[in-house]
Amino acid sequence: MLWGAVVGQRRDIALGALLGMGHQTGEALVPVLIGVAVDRGIVDGDAAGLLLWLGVLAVVYVGLSFSWRGSARAGERASVVAAHLLRTRLVGRLLAPEGGAEDGRLHGELANTATEDARRVGGVAMAIIVAVASAAGLVVGAVVLLLMSVPLGLLVLFGAPLLLWLGHLLSKPLERRSETEQERAARASGVAADLVAGLRVLKGIGAEPAAAARYRRISQGALTATLRAARAEAWQSGVLTILTGAFLALVALVGGRLAARGDIGLGELVSSVALALFLIGPLSEFSWVNAELAQGRASAARIAAILDAPPAVRSTPSERRPFEGRLRLRGLSYGSLRGVDLDIAPGETVGVVTTDPADAAALLHCLGRRADPDKGAVELDGTELPALDLAQVRTAILVAEHDADLFEGTVLENVTAASGGQVTAASGQHVSAASGEQVSAAITASGTDEVVRTLPDGADTPVTARGRSLSGGQRQRVALARALAADAPVLVVHEPTTAVDSVTEVRIAAGIRDLRRGRTTVLVTNSPALLAVTDRVLLLDEGRVAAAGDHERLVHEHADYRAAVVT
Amino acid sequence: MNESLLPVAAPARTRAAVAELLRPHRALALTAFAVMTGSTAVGLLVQPLLGRIVDLAAEHGSVDAITTTVALLVAVAVAQGITAGLGLSLISRLGETTLARLREQFVERALGLPLERVEKAGAGDLTARVTADVSLIADAVRSALPELARSLLTIVLTLGALALLDWRFLLAALLAVPVQVLTARWYVTRAVPLYAAQRVAAGAQQQQLLDTVAGSSTVRAFRLEREHSERVTERSRSVVELTMRGVRLVLGFYSRLHIAEYIGLAAVLTTGYWLVRQDSASIGTATAAALYFHSLFTPVNAALALLDDAQAATAGLARLVGVTDQPPPPAGRSVGAGDVDVTVRGLSHAYRPGQLVLRDVNLTIRHGERVALVGASGAGKTTLARLVAGIQAPTAGSVLVGGVPPTALGPTGVALITQETHVFAGPLSDDLRLARPDATDDELRAALDSVDALDWAEALPDGLATVVGNGGHRLDGARTQALALARLILADPSLVILDEATAEAGSAGARALEKAVTRAVDGRTALIVAHRLSQAAVADRIVVMESGRVVETGTHDELRAGQGPYAALWEAWSDTRGSGP
Repeated sequence: MLWGAVVGQRRDIALGALLGMGHQTGEALVPVLIGVAVDRGIVDGDAAGLLLWLGVLAVVYVGLSFSWRGSARAGERASVVAAHLLRTRLVGRLLAPEGGAEDGRLHGELANTATEDARRVGGVAMAIIVAVASAAGLVVGAVVLLLMSVPLGLLVLFGAPLLLWLGHLLSKPLERRSETEQERAARASGVAADLVAGLRVLKGIGAEPAAAARYRRISQGALTATLRAARAEAWQSGVLTILTGAFLALVALVGGRLAARGDIGLGELVSSVALALFLIGPLSEFSWVNAELAQGRASAARIAAILDAPPAVRSTPSERRPFEGRLRLRGLSYGSLRGVDLDIAPGETVGVVTTDPADAAALLHCLGRRADPDKGAVELDGTELPALDLAQVRTAILVAEHDADLFEGTVLENVTAASGGQVTAASGQHVSAASGEQVSAAITASGTDEVVRTLPDGADTPVTARGRSLSGGQRQRVALARALAADAPVLVVHEPTTAVDSVTEVRIAAGIRDLRRGRTTVLVTNSPALLAVTDRVLLLDEGRVAAAGDHERLVHEHADYRAAVVT
Repeated sequence: MNESLLPVAAPARTRAAVAELLRPHRALALTAFAVMTGSTAVGLLVQPLLGRIVDLAAEHGSVDAITTTVALLVAVAVAQGITAGLGLSLISRLGETTLARLREQFVERALGLPLERVEKAGAGDLTARVTADVSLIADAVRSALPELARSLLTIVLTLGALALLDWRFLLAALLAVPVQVLTARWYVTRAVPLYAAQRVAAGAQQQQLLDTVAGSSTVRAFRLEREHSERVTERSRSVVELTMRGVRLVLGFYSRLHIAEYIGLAAVLTTGYWLVRQDSASIGTATAAALYFHSLFTPVNAALALLDDAQAATAGLARLVGVTDQPPPPAGRSVGAGDVDVTVRGLSHAYRPGQLVLRDVNLTIRHGERVALVGASGAGKTTLARLVAGIQAPTAGSVLVGGVPPTALGPTGVALITQETHVFAGPLSDDLRLARPDATDDELRAALDSVDALDWAEALPDGLATVVGNGGHRLDGARTQALALARLILADPSLVILDEATAEAGSAGARALEKAVTRAVDGRTALIVAHRLSQAAVADRIVVMESGRVVETGTHDELRAGQGPYAALWEAWSDTRGSGP
């Protein structure tokens, strides 16, 4: 996967690497040219020589500046484009109708993988360019040094890596410690955000002073940890300074003696000292490249795990056809369900009451084909669901779950999201008149009309992410309107009115009945107001059908049923 | 929307606030500065020593003299390393301690802000300040500050050293400055808005990803896969585009700096040639000058590159100081234990001018009385609850709790629990102790027990020590609300206001919670907004509201016997429940 991401950007990477080599060569030549300028110009007192070499320096500067620019641009482009493509692929997999990719993963973690991990894998492109370019700088520096003096060249070539290795050795334990300490520091910020997120709750019970005191304690703990980490880092930097200084002194000692004996020129002495300093740069890039590659590999593994996650269900291509909405459960066993049988005629409204929320969840999973049953089957118009195309199943059977999310957009855009009608972003106007009627009927039936009346811009009021700008009751009604507006042949609604007052609930129940007349509707709920508008009801207890019949009759005759629906 | 955001401090006020924060650490600041100056100054001996070696070699001088000079070089390195380590740790101690104080002050003040103010600004504003701005400044303090201090000192002292070699070297080096100044100005004016746009785009992308990923089952159920893929792709593309614009900007920045480098280097070398020819300087001195200038490249680039970090951190700082400068919440009078009655007189309220949501409400709740507030959505129940709780000041009329306006009450005394819930990240016991910091384990258990939450709480993987909330063990709606009620018991307020506190639990959970509510409010004055009439039926008195007015008050039996709206409501409600309770 990592390889694929890199190969996809091979042109930019090749270009970046080529130009990067040019840049590093130029950087290596600058100290050499300083030395030559000192030698030919200042030592020899030759104005023409000085000008000549300053001219050469200017040419090198122009070259290195442009090649660096081109290299960095190609590298960054390769990185961000690769990250973008990965992100798109990831989201495609996460949203694939087959599902299964998000199971067992936290949402924040998935979003992070799509941003941070994708970015790190993309960053590998840049790391490759930097590695190639640094190697070029190193080779040029080495060749020049060896041409000037073999012993001096060897000293620098072996000394510089040794120096870096020593520095790495010293910093390794410090790095590990400082990482855990930085994590602790990061937690303080998490706690603060959490307290602010719960501000209403804190204020509701007057816990602000207690919360502030808690934060102060955590902040002080983080401070102690950070100070330790910072101190370690400061001393590490100090030690590195000493090592570099000592190395430089060693080069100066050998170079000075060679120059004093006349083995090398003064300019070469200056160049070798400056080169020794320069070579530390590209050498230390290698440890950065190494870290980037390691991170890239780890991130690539996380992304691959999501892309390769086994699908929860499989889709079978099938021909498009209209459905009349006959729904049949045959000995359905899944999760907590144990052999449930149910036959729903087209156009019927059926209530399903559960004593255990797990039964409701299992039933909804099977009806929406989020999972396939362990035993038995769900049939739509006589065809088992796995024999149908997933897109068709979900268009035919709409499962509106209790905790369905709203999305960013206006109230109207949320309601019409699945109604087939196109809403133009600019005007919010409906293009299709037929679905426009359906939408306004759904808005009325779900009690969303009341919500719209109280909002500042009515149906055009923007809804923030996940509908957080609406109250629980408002959210629920808008979500119900969306489900009703989709006008699916089979609609399965799960507890749509838990956050709605009782008067509105009765209105909504009547609205659902009227709007869905003649269309198959399943109400999975324990609310008597909703059950009162069904044709018949079913009680699920311990995963089995415990009772079936008319709501009114069961309330009077069936004690368990009464206990489940009536306070 | 923008004028309602929380305040941002003016630059002068921000500087004053930073000075105030630093004042207690003056001695530390001076020591850190002195040590860093010393360290940098010692480091500047390297180039003259190298120059001396060049001179010695030019004179074919004694090998011993070279060795002595090299020994001095090593001594310089050791001294520089030790002082740098010390100086950097002092600087980070100064920065981190100050930062910790700032963030603590900020969080304390932020938690004390009136809820009405926070809501007007949008919760995102405060959250962004507490996370993004704090970490922005922390990053600046952690990495930019030491680097900046070091670079600036190096630049200033190196220029000084150049002047010591010969003042004409300094003049030559300064030829690079105009280009650098222009470059920095060119960069900052473009970088600040661009980086702000980048942050916005990255935030939007993250938000869209969370929205899409968290809602993925809804997306699939409603067949919105294509639309959501496109939304993410579009946001991601704008991030890519802005990143590339940023890259081009940075590259332009460094290209211009390359010009400055070349101008300065050529000038220093030429000056060296002149001075050597006039015998005003030795070859070694000229070499030292060239090396000095070459060694300026890194700190100059670093300092200039840190400009936008500094700019961003300053902007973040202004946003923090804007909040810490808010007046602290009033100390608050406490309500006496004996006489917590609520008097509401002629109360009217409008969130937007001209749109009254409450009209002339009068209501008295006697001490220890339990009053239920009933009515359709939008009748004004929640607004009345908020006004009694003191979250909002009324447009007209008055609310008195125990004779005092609730907005002037301290943080304890009145508790408000709404359907808006939150589980605080961390051990469950820590969450509960927010309500009463000195509660013993037994008290926590007792509180959980009285809301029927002890059984499941003890069955959690680590019992009461289980980490819950964001990133921890997830609690469902009913448990979250039970936790809120347990906190209520621990906080032990005299007046309790519950606003549909059982709504999110689903029908089955709501019934269990109602029992818990009854126990939690036992012995307290209570105002309960109820949408389940079973909750109203057990109250001492019921107040029915319609379009912002109180239309009926009385006990359940009185109202049921009458012909008013409550009787109608009750009939509709119990009808749907078959035989009724």
